[in-house]
Amino acid sequence: MNKPQRNQVALNTFGPGAQALFHTVLGLFALMCIVPFLFVIIISFTSEDSIRQIGYSFMPLSWSTQAYGYVFRLGDALWRSYFNSFLITVIGTVLSVAICVLYSYPLYRKDFKYRGFFNFMSFFTMIFGGGLVPTFVVCKTLLGLSDNYAALIVPLLFSPFNVIVMRTFFQTTVPRELIEASTIDGAGEYRTLLQIVLPVVKPGIATIALLNALAFWNEWFLSLLYITKNMDVIPLQYLLMRMQRNADFLAKNSAMLGADAAQAARNLPSQSLKMALVVFIVVPIACAYPFFQRYVVAGLTVGSVKG
Amino acid sequence: MKKLLALVLALALLLTAMSFALAEELPTITIMFHGSNVTDDTAVLEAVNDYIADKVGAKLEVVWGTWGDFDDKATNALLSGDTGIDMVFTCSWSADEYNTYAKNGYFVKLDDLIAEYGADLVAAIPESLMQAATIEGAEGMGIYAVNGFKDTATQNTWDVNVTLLNELGYTLDDFKAMSFYDFGELFQKAKELKGDAFYPFLVEPMVLERMVTGSIIVAGDSGSTNLLSLYLNQDDVSAEGPEGNVILNKFATDEYRAFVDQMHEYYEAGYVDPSLAVAETSNDTRTNTQKTGEYLIGTQSYAFGYEYSADVLDRGIEVAFVPCTDPYVDTTASQGAMVAISTASEHPVESFKFLALLNSDPTLMTLLNYGVEGIHYNLNDDGLVEFTDERANYSPWTNGMGNVTILPDTAAEGAGFRESFKEYYAGAKAIPALGYVFDNADVANEMAALGTVAAQYALALDAGALDPETTLPDFLAALDAAGMQAYLDAANAQLAAYLG
Repeated sequence: MNKPQRNQVALNTFGPGAQALFHTVLGLFALMCIVPFLFVIIISFTSEDSIRQIGYSFMPLSWSTQAYGYVFRLGDALWRSYFNSFLITVIGTVLSVAICVLYSYPLYRKDFKYRGFFNFMSFFTMIFGGGLVPTFVVCKTLLGLSDNYAALIVPLLFSPFNVIVMRTFFQTTVPRELIEASTIDGAGEYRTLLQIVLPVVKPGIATIALLNALAFWNEWFLSLLYITKNMDVIPLQYLLMRMQRNADFLAKNSAMLGADAAQAARNLPSQSLKMALVVFIVVPIACAYPFFQRYVVAGLTVGSVKG
Repeated sequence: MKKLLALVLALALLLTAMSFALAEELPTITIMFHGSNVTDDTAVLEAVNDYIADKVGAKLEVVWGTWGDFDDKATNALLSGDTGIDMVFTCSWSADEYNTYAKNGYFVKLDDLIAEYGADLVAAIPESLMQAATIEGAEGMGIYAVNGFKDTATQNTWDVNVTLLNELGYTLDDFKAMSFYDFGELFQKAKELKGDAFYPFLVEPMVLERMVTGSIIVAGDSGSTNLLSLYLNQDDVSAEGPEGNVILNKFATDEYRAFVDQMHEYYEAGYVDPSLAVAETSNDTRTNTQKTGEYLIGTQSYAFGYEYSADVLDRGIEVAFVPCTDPYVDTTASQGAMVAISTASEHPVESFKFLALLNSDPTLMTLLNYGVEGIHYNLNDDGLVEFTDERANYSPWTNGMGNVTILPDTAAEGAGFRESFKEYYAGAKAIPALGYVFDNADVANEMAALGTVAAQYALALDAGALDPETTLPDFLAALDAAGMQAYLDAANAQLAAYLG
């Protein structure tokens, strides 16, 4: 008889001391993640006077919703760019996941003749980039990616890193027998991929989709490069980034610009307004996490009990 | 194969047909400006295009670069040979720096165009500005950009809160008699009156350093933190400075040591806001505090008429700008705002005609700068410009556009402002080394290393936060180790060659 004794700890758990330690460490880590965000929210509700007098503080001298009032008065430009952010993220994520799966699946299939070639083609671009100006020339003059939505979506559609992640995911989770079995049962290539393989790799797809959604949501550099005249297509990130860069530029060049810089600084948004925009940017994407999380966790643990 | 050939031929045919179709319309020329705050330019461009159709023979499009994104957009357009950008803002301090880009062949040499179409332009812009734009470019000595007539001289001033000064029992004349080294008693009294949280000395540390030591910026020096300096003759800016026409390491002079010693004393006494000594917060703190008027003495790189701007009028105090020296014309200021034509442009002639018109025709300049009368501004009974609320959607950077002296006076500036403005800058004297630009290509590595060292010390030293006794020797040693002497020698050799 193996009666469990007092203080004896089950094999698959830690002792109470270790538990407490782990909880403290992870708790502190979680706090470190959440505190900056709370701080941003607090600043966005801080009055300008308070920022001027004591700087950023968890305990501002006075509160104000002025920044949000201003954000809503930005009106069309704001809602338009907010809509653009969603549009670009949704279209971009769907397309890029489709491309990623369709590219990595053949690379996983040992019976694909040009596997080595396509592997190399994608891997090579991870190591050697074309540089900014050549990329710009190709995108703008050759592909016509300028002042349109395509310019904000197409350059990010294919990511070699994601292809490698996805290919590895195929290799580790989809047994080749599965494909042989479906072939024997008479499934064509498309049916095999769509109905047999895809359901198995859902966690992998969720991971890729999350990575891509984040990349599209946070993207502002493409707007900087390719959007020069048509400001109707810029995403919210760029709107915010532009304000930030304007402030940085004026700070850096104030000695050169003199009085001009001081006058231009008047048009810049206040500190609290910037933080209010950050809140606008963070909230939707933070809401997307829980939907992906289920799959991502599953993706981490799947296969762990198999030999 | 035949199919492919047929397809190519068909495409070629289509393209020719299209270009014929386009040829009948006016060509479009595009200009890229810096520092704009424009969200709706429809009305303005409509009016501009009506106006220039016959005079220029082209349609205008504008890319409104903002302060933050101009550098990337302009350099990308130029480096990639983008035919969609015909004209681009350039100057001595933007990323598409005038001298470098002209030398590397990105800007069209304008001399022939000026001779053929530029009579009005030459008449509208002072000779000295034409000279300042004459440089050694890809196609030899010549003019590679149209130089804007704006505040073309540099003048650093003390920004004095006269209201508070009077409260302390001093007059403006008392202040004018004082030097930087005598400010202590003023600060102390201000501190006693306004309490501990009040910082009387609101400075831009780098500018303050130039004001006190009489040093000036050397064009082509490290942009983030200047390392080199020529010294100004503070009594007559056009005469040779006390050190002669020699470039010095600005941190190694006795004047600099005296300045940082005094500044450290002010800082220790609590006269300087500590956040002014930190690069990330320095400028924000200064501009924000200026707005509230909570300071006694500040520094301001001055432009004529700045006291009439809303920026100063809204402070709620009486402000006076007390100059340190007469305004002086140096390379940096005289190449402060220009517009060049890109060598990739397919319409250089139309582009030049447009630039010549913009800089000489008040109607066009006013339209593009102030907007449309009745929408963006109205003329009051005295014929002065009063802006409407629509101006918020259309505020280009005035000085970045060209000849601002042909603009009408605004109500805030008062009648006759432009005339005085012209006189003021026409009277400005040039420093002996005007036109000299340090070509740092051979010592670029040293410059990068030196810039990093200087970024670590200079601002905090200038603001007084570091004790010169201990840190200045470290700083100088670090500069020497990073190659200061080689950098200096290169600059001086070029200066000597330039002055002949």
